[in-house]
Amino acid sequence: MMRRIIYLVFLFSISCIDPFSADVDQGEQILTVEGLVTSGPGPHVIKLSRSATYGSVFQGLIRPVQGATMMLKDDQGKVTPLTEDPNKFGTYETAASFSAEIGRLYTLQFQLVTGEVYVSAPEKIEAAPEIKKLSVKTVQIPVEGEILFRSGAQIFAEIDDPGDQNNFYLWRNAPSTYVLEARPDLFVIRSPNAPPVPAPKACCYVCYRQEVVGNQSLFIAQDDTFNGLTTTLPVSFIEDNGLRLVNTFRTDIMQIRITPEAYRFLKLIRQQTETSGSVFDPPPASIRGNMSRLDKPEEVVLGYFIAGGETRKRIYIKRDDLTFNQPRVIIPDDCRVVSGPLSDIVPSDWNPNN
Amino acid sequence: MKKILLLYLVLSAQFALAQTAVKREVVGRDIGQLKGIKVSIRIIDEITGESLVGATVTVPELNLNRITDNNGTVELNLDRAEYNLVLRYVGYETVNYPITAVGEARLTVRMIQEDFQLDGIVIFGSDPEKNIRSTDMGAVKMNTNSIKELPPFLGEVDIIRSMATLPGVSQVGEAAAGLNVRGGGADQNLIQFAGAPIYNPTHLFGLFTSFNPDVVNDFTLYKSVIPARFGGRGSSILDIAPKAGSVSNWGGDLMVSNVSGKVGINGPIVKDKVSVKAGFRGSYINWFLGALSNPDLKNSQANFYDGNLIINAPISENNEITYSFYTSYDDFAFASDTTVSWKNTSQSLQWKSRLSEKLNLELLGYATQYDYSIFNRSGTNDFDLSSGIHDYGLKAFMTYQLSEANKITVGGDWKSLTIQPGELIPGGGEESGILPKKIQDEYARESGVHFQHEFELGEKFGMTYGARYDMYQYLGPRKVNQYEPNRPFSEGTSTSSTEYGDGDNIISFNGFGPRASLRYSLSKSSSFKAGYNKMYQFIHLISNTATIAPTDVWKLSDQYIEPQIVDQYSLGFYNNFKGNIFETSIEVYYKDIQNVIEYKDGANLILQNSLETELVPAEGKAYGIEVFTKKNLGRLTGWVSYTYSRSLRRVITPYQENQINEGKWYSSNFDKPHDLTLIGNYKVSTYTSISATFGYSTGRPVTYPVAKFDFFGNSLAYFNLRNQQRLPDFHRLDFAVNFKFKGNGKFFEDGDWVFSIMNVYGRRNPFSLFFADEQGAPPQAYKLAILGVPLPSISYSIKF
Repeated sequence: MMRRIIYLVFLFSISCIDPFSADVDQGEQILTVEGLVTSGPGPHVIKLSRSATYGSVFQGLIRPVQGATMMLKDDQGKVTPLTEDPNKFGTYETAASFSAEIGRLYTLQFQLVTGEVYVSAPEKIEAAPEIKKLSVKTVQIPVEGEILFRSGAQIFAEIDDPGDQNNFYLWRNAPSTYVLEARPDLFVIRSPNAPPVPAPKACCYVCYRQEVVGNQSLFIAQDDTFNGLTTTLPVSFIEDNGLRLVNTFRTDIMQIRITPEAYRFLKLIRQQTETSGSVFDPPPASIRGNMSRLDKPEEVVLGYFIAGGETRKRIYIKRDDLTFNQPRVIIPDDCRVVSGPLSDIVPSDWNPNN
Repeated sequence: MKKILLLYLVLSAQFALAQTAVKREVVGRDIGQLKGIKVSIRIIDEITGESLVGATVTVPELNLNRITDNNGTVELNLDRAEYNLVLRYVGYETVNYPITAVGEARLTVRMIQEDFQLDGIVIFGSDPEKNIRSTDMGAVKMNTNSIKELPPFLGEVDIIRSMATLPGVSQVGEAAAGLNVRGGGADQNLIQFAGAPIYNPTHLFGLFTSFNPDVVNDFTLYKSVIPARFGGRGSSILDIAPKAGSVSNWGGDLMVSNVSGKVGINGPIVKDKVSVKAGFRGSYINWFLGALSNPDLKNSQANFYDGNLIINAPISENNEITYSFYTSYDDFAFASDTTVSWKNTSQSLQWKSRLSEKLNLELLGYATQYDYSIFNRSGTNDFDLSSGIHDYGLKAFMTYQLSEANKITVGGDWKSLTIQPGELIPGGGEESGILPKKIQDEYARESGVHFQHEFELGEKFGMTYGARYDMYQYLGPRKVNQYEPNRPFSEGTSTSSTEYGDGDNIISFNGFGPRASLRYSLSKSSSFKAGYNKMYQFIHLISNTATIAPTDVWKLSDQYIEPQIVDQYSLGFYNNFKGNIFETSIEVYYKDIQNVIEYKDGANLILQNSLETELVPAEGKAYGIEVFTKKNLGRLTGWVSYTYSRSLRRVITPYQENQINEGKWYSSNFDKPHDLTLIGNYKVSTYTSISATFGYSTGRPVTYPVAKFDFFGNSLAYFNLRNQQRLPDFHRLDFAVNFKFKGNGKFFEDGDWVFSIMNVYGRRNPFSLFFADEQGAPPQAYKLAILGVPLPSISYSIKF
């Protein structure tokens, strides 16, 4: 913000932000838990990793923690095991059929291959209110030193906040699907030492590509300013990368009711992601989670095991819903060559006009 | 000794060369009295008729220096003889006044503000030996005329920033508002204009100070032994005195610089009786922004102004009434949807009266207000958030001059404080999905009585001792939360609440604050001093940022947040050389601070009804050594100040969750051990001067992460212990050239051009360090430099 103030005052930038090689100590390898279990459809995922040194590319590799024995316990003694995904080290999943039950308290417990046992504080699942309506607004973000703005679709949810309780919300995007447009007719064969030879392909112009998007920004809210009201809140941001929002984009917004403690944790995380070095930044806060080592409670464990009730609502965003579009990225090939899960067949539940 | 005196006299003579030779005046009615002739001299400003308080009258024949009292008067006890009096005052031309005393007399001397003097620019300090002879410690008085010679910021000299060039006074960083005095927080300084406290005297989020130097006569910073009539803040008092208009002629001034312009006018409303001075300063940034095509900038706003009005009535020789009004306003809009604005307003009415030759009375009433608001009109969930503080009060004190070196001051003050910590109102009609929320207002009364006695014991010893007794009451109406015993305060441990009615006393605090300072003179030009001071502070700035921000709220002491108590011990050695051309001092201090506020990790301070759940009481200690050398006279004037100091904090708590840095001492946010300032002003000719400031300090403490971890796709930093590392050292050179010119007398009298460059060699001094996971780069540390390039500015001003 300070830079902006100075920019406005002098109309040229006198402030500058430079990378700084801070002489950060060799990072401790602290166990980190990242988990979200909801009442929505599974599988639910818990990730284990070890923290690394900050600020160095080479030392800064966050390593997954493999081979843990992990389970979820509720307050009635029911145990749900999680198994490690053989393709994704350190990622542990419940069965797809598992959903957390409203009203239950859940505890995450696991044992590492080296024998240490870690356990979370219990998290209570409480029912989340439904999302009444989703809407979209175009957002443009100026980027310093660049002429082109970043832009995208900001998704807003209208909710009836229950007045008889304090609610803490977290919004996440379930995997999204969008229409990927390609130009196979522009395909050329390139070979070294020879001019490109046009070789139009007949197929395929349109694919449906799945991706997980929009979850890097944290959308959270506490109802102390809107308890009991109908309110509209930003719940997601889909950045326009010249591909996703070219035709139609579909996503499911998960509205999760979390505990006050989890909210505080996420708020600190969001605060950290928003620091800009300004005079008005809050000082860095030590972000502690809800996991601890059973026989050594003073050991620091990073991250959080979040559990909460979930509701979902689906939205289709069409090109016309936006007032500003990024230049389209041309894919001069069959759309099926693009990486990621995709298909040229319309998904059975694709229903953008409903 | 004699040699020094001789040199001094020679210099004084040089000093007065520009003045016309003065004829010796025979004073008094000659009735043949030989001894004990009482001569009282009142010194007033030639133009405004204001009494000059604190001016010095030197009687070289008697080896005597006297300081004028609140009425601008000194009493001399003379023999039937000839005397060559020398009258001096900061920023005024020295007057040589030869008299022959033959009988009792009351004289009035008019002094002229110095303007076009080639020699004898006194940077500050009126009496060349005052630093040696008085019992004052750590008090610095500056005159606005003299600081105008320093390199300006945005075309103008900044009163608060200029203070940071003194030893023991620092700022967090280049754009930071507020001062840190001897290891104290920014809220531990009382800034008062014409006797009224000003809560946020900043423009543009702290880029510069909202006091217009043209309406300020002088300002004094007390950082060590604070006179007993001041209280309520732990570290320092910055007392800013307004400037009165002329009682004889109308005049004015105009100034334009790259960001702002100002206009001032002053003159007699009633000739020789009542004067008025008005000043207005405003920015034209908005006008530039409006002319731009970039919609983002076009819809932005950066607007500020400040205005002052001073009405002064020296109604008789013994009575003077001054009314002073001050206002400053800022609004700032980021694009078009959010506007942040803040405003200070204060008024005061002061009556100074000389009841008898020995007794002076001063009465002052004031009201001051600070308001802050954010208007959000983004279209969804529009809101207005506002907060404010206002207080009004009365002060009265009397000084009784028992003899020339024996003075007693007694008095009392009373004030009423109201804080509106925050109110959120849905904006834009029915549409807003925001619930109104109001944090309970706070009320308190603060009063104090004080006594101070200054005296000399022979030639060698001087002493000032006194005390202030502060009384504070925290008042209803208020709903106060109760907490489980032996548990930290948190939402979860709150058990019940108690309702207090309107005016009910919720809790009281009283504090006895003794002060004393002792001076031992080794010679006429050197002395030792020792001092002790205890201060109480019942108001706290709740700010979890490194510096003062307009968004910060003030909090009154209550049963959970106790008053800050500061004990300060200081020792000093003062020595002047070469007939007071050089002034040096070395001061050491140790400070013990109780109940300073620290913040829990991730404290939630905005619209917080129970702040005690977010705060942790800490103790603080600060110590340091300050070395200062100043050259007062000649073409080259200036000073060198060096401070080595530490400012530490510690939190001792039985509760694990409230612990900060494992209960060990750690650096406060403004702990910068080495701090060096060099300031020089060189008079090239009558009309041209150049000046430069160089500052160096250790980088301020920062917190480095101990690890990097991932959560929800973000690479995050894990911080453990606070303030364990430091930013790179700070250093910067500023430079200015000042050209004065004479007008033709028709339209204007004189004026000047000031060209300046801040940060001459373009050092990117980091203001802060932050750790971020930006697109296209690994998560890493970034430094923000606020003034990353040389910044030129220009200003043009004329007087008419």
